[in-house]
Amino acid sequence: MIPQERIRNFCIIAHIDHGKSTLADRFLELTHTIDPRQMTSQVLDSMDLEREKGITIKARAVRLHHRARDGFDYALNLIDTPGHVDFTYEVSRSLAACEGAVLVVDAAQGIEAQTLANVHLALAAGLVIVPVVNKIDLPNADPDLVLEELENVLAIPREEVLLASAKDGTGVPEILEAVVARIPPPRGDAAAPLQALIFDSHYDAYRGVVAHIRLAQGTLHQRDTIRLLATGAISEILELGVFRPGLVPVERLIAGEVGYVATGLKSVRDARVGDTLTDARRPAGTPLPGYRPVRSLVFAGIYPVRGDDYPLLRDAIEKLHLNDASFTYAPETSVALGFGFRLGFLGLLHMEIVQERLEREFDLQLIATAPSVEYRVTLTHGRGEVIVDNPARLPETSDVESIAEPWSRLQVITPAAHIGPLMELATNRRGTFLDLQYLDPNRVLMRFELPLSELIVDFHDQLKSRTQGYASMDYEEAGYRPADLAKLDILVAGEPVDALSLIVHASGAVAQGRQLVAKLRGLIPRQLFEVPIQATIGSRVVARETIGALRKNVLAKCYGGDITRKRKLLEKQKEGKRRMKRVGNVEIPQEAFLAVLRSDQAG
Amino acid sequence: MSAAAAVAPAPVSMAGPSPRADASPGARWPRALYVHVPFCLSACPYCDFVVYAGSAARGPRSLLPALAEALLAELELRADELERTVERPTGAALETVYLGGGTPSLLAPRQLGRLLEAIDRRLGIAAGAEITLEANPGPADRGDPAAFAAAGVTRLSIGAQSFVPVELRRLGRRHGPADVATTVALARSAGMGSVGLDLLYDVPGQTLASWWATLEAALALAPDHVSAYALTIDDPDVEGLTGPTGDHLPARPGARQWRERARAEQDDDRAAGLYLEATELLEAAGFAWYEISNWARPGHRCRHNLVYWRRQAYLALGPGAHGFDGARRRWWNAARLEPYLAALLPDPGGSPRLPPGGEERLDEGAALAEEVILALRLSDGLDEERLERLAAMPQLSEALARARAADLLERNGTGRIVLTRRGRLLAGELFAHLV
Repeated sequence: MIPQERIRNFCIIAHIDHGKSTLADRFLELTHTIDPRQMTSQVLDSMDLEREKGITIKARAVRLHHRARDGFDYALNLIDTPGHVDFTYEVSRSLAACEGAVLVVDAAQGIEAQTLANVHLALAAGLVIVPVVNKIDLPNADPDLVLEELENVLAIPREEVLLASAKDGTGVPEILEAVVARIPPPRGDAAAPLQALIFDSHYDAYRGVVAHIRLAQGTLHQRDTIRLLATGAISEILELGVFRPGLVPVERLIAGEVGYVATGLKSVRDARVGDTLTDARRPAGTPLPGYRPVRSLVFAGIYPVRGDDYPLLRDAIEKLHLNDASFTYAPETSVALGFGFRLGFLGLLHMEIVQERLEREFDLQLIATAPSVEYRVTLTHGRGEVIVDNPARLPETSDVESIAEPWSRLQVITPAAHIGPLMELATNRRGTFLDLQYLDPNRVLMRFELPLSELIVDFHDQLKSRTQGYASMDYEEAGYRPADLAKLDILVAGEPVDALSLIVHASGAVAQGRQLVAKLRGLIPRQLFEVPIQATIGSRVVARETIGALRKNVLAKCYGGDITRKRKLLEKQKEGKRRMKRVGNVEIPQEAFLAVLRSDQAG
Repeated sequence: MSAAAAVAPAPVSMAGPSPRADASPGARWPRALYVHVPFCLSACPYCDFVVYAGSAARGPRSLLPALAEALLAELELRADELERTVERPTGAALETVYLGGGTPSLLAPRQLGRLLEAIDRRLGIAAGAEITLEANPGPADRGDPAAFAAAGVTRLSIGAQSFVPVELRRLGRRHGPADVATTVALARSAGMGSVGLDLLYDVPGQTLASWWATLEAALALAPDHVSAYALTIDDPDVEGLTGPTGDHLPARPGARQWRERARAEQDDDRAAGLYLEATELLEAAGFAWYEISNWARPGHRCRHNLVYWRRQAYLALGPGAHGFDGARRRWWNAARLEPYLAALLPDPGGSPRLPPGGEERLDEGAALAEEVILALRLSDGLDEERLERLAAMPQLSEALARARAADLLERNGTGRIVLTRRGRLLAGELFAHLV
């Protein structure tokens, strides 16, 4: 049993590709946490999607046993954090379970916007920062410039910064030493009534809801009966343990430790992230400060391509939600798409990930409608305010007194050469420039405000393409402001397709209608008859394109007696058709519903 | 299958097909035989049939004699296999034999004669059977139609493709328009009972005018049968057909490049126009449409190809050839020649084995879908009896109803459901819903 003063709880803050996963892998190797034969790269990113996209989606924890140079054994709890702009919520949860953070900055790239935002979050939470400049082995590494940036932007003295290469292992033992020496041990009286913060949870078919906890005070034993302060749920625990990184049972956990509890509860809703877990027989009087609850910023309809799959989709969403409470969902119906769900997401990447997980893990074919933000619509004649997150549900113009839309505050870090194009991008998106700060002679931090709806579409892609990929961004909510908005409807073959409706700013509505109709023309394949596509605002048609009728689709080749091949070719066509949604008489492919997101139009 | 059934020889007198490993329930004795001759003097870049060209096809290192021997060996083994697995009806004989390729007209008449004799001896060739030989029209590869007729061939199918020299060159063909005329004349003077011409449309560089010229030139030769196929560039590599036991050979790099360029010059709208033009001209000239890509003068439909579309059993010999047991089992020989020859022509002391290949077993749904799709390709379409059976399959009958509403299908004068003229060009839209 390791005493409290030799426990360290820390996380790693880093931008995508700055080496966080590699560094975590080195920690696991150096501390012999994982058998070298079982070592795969990015051990902590165990989801296929995470490895493919090179990002961390879910926070994860692992306990490292480390004999420091002072000769003592330490227990280091590394709590992994997501690094993408959409997952600030997950980051703040991880930070609350730590006393320190290792800040990793790429020696060739410098500090990025998201990293900066997360360091500020960490500092605000009172964490000690252990700064590391990584990848010093790269030929284009410029550690001096990065040291200057850290000094300018975060006031971190150069002497405190460690230089390392997680790839070849240089400097990694020194990082572990610094974690021991600089990050304070957790405090909290192991004899006091139990208070443990749930910073994450997952559902396990055998153990039920497994809560990931950080004990603030008290001690948790096997066979204790626990109570959750917010939900009031009471349960006898099935197992408790630590992450190595698999679940390894232990006899007890004491104040300051990080571990897991198999709660025996059947629903993640009973053990909400942010809740405080206590001993049912000797409960703590007050809960720990939780987190701000997850707030969805982006909403989209999710529908099965085949209507029969609706019950499967419902089950899939419920199951996924057990594991990932970061999205919200509610049933909705669409005239065009039938029964489905409105899901709320943290951001666009989050939306993409949730959709991909539903499709892959539950073998479903889904249609996502164009994402929308949440509008506040004030009705006429003092009939109050309604919240609209689905353009199809926007009340008739005659019922609308005014509409307010959410705004965001955006910070961008970019090479100074790209200031002009970024100014232009933000202005085209109805943004306003706030200020600019030089981080070093070559890089600047720019701040803007712009409507969230303009940000979620393809702003990030545009930002990257206008800066050859060098700029990074981070955003936060910045309240609601009134706006002159209009609803743009799309008619396919004369039928309104509600799932294609958009709420757009009145000034650009006609142009957007034209663009969207042109994109749809390219995305909807030719049908057996001519298909007109129209964009309307109110009853006014603002744009029209026509898809000519399909004239030939037949296997008119001599395949001889090879009927097998003929059938396989038809089956392939059928598979293509199955991925399309029949709306009226028209088969519409999945991509068409996201046409508005395609970045083939500048600014 | 049961292990016991696979070991015990089935009594010959047993009624109905015996339950053997290599037959599916309902398997029929074949009345049709396909023989693949995988040699061409040169390979055309658009063709993905199993073909070996160059020195394999002629000269001292020609593999034709070896193939002719191997085909005889395979015939024996296939016939043995049939006799073991399917009851042979009394007096059963082949109604059609089709020698395709490749260029089967490269076979020496003596080789062909020996093969047909062996087939007749082993499986029987019915009186009045249709025996088709595919021929290239060039002087070096059309062979001697008179000698072929003497060996028993009743039908010559000539790969004319186009009558426009520039298109023929683009297609990599070695012959000119005059060669087609010569070949037809030779076939006629040899007393060949039926002469067919194969044509290609949607060829790079083709125009309505050049297609019209091709059709006119073809009609001027007074053939009995015309096939007009759309130049269709599939990719057997992508389809996963070119592995060691696949039924196709990998595309050669030159062909791949050619296909990419050609595909860029193809156009579905133009192709549709060309097809309709062919329909008009051929029907005006007295040819009746009977399958999506085939027209014939009365009495000259290709009986062998009808076997495929009517889903009747056929036996097959040769690399890459496909057979069907008439019920649920489709099988094929692997494309590669070397293992084919090695299996059938073992070293002295060894005994011939069936060549490597593959098979697929169809479930009831797939078999029914096939039946409907193949039947709809024909002008005979679906009859009342089939329609009644389909009524029990909601998905199939719904798709058929939608196709009727979209003017792809119609009920003809005799109450059968058939493709409309527009439907012949858009059949894929319907068939993709049926598989």
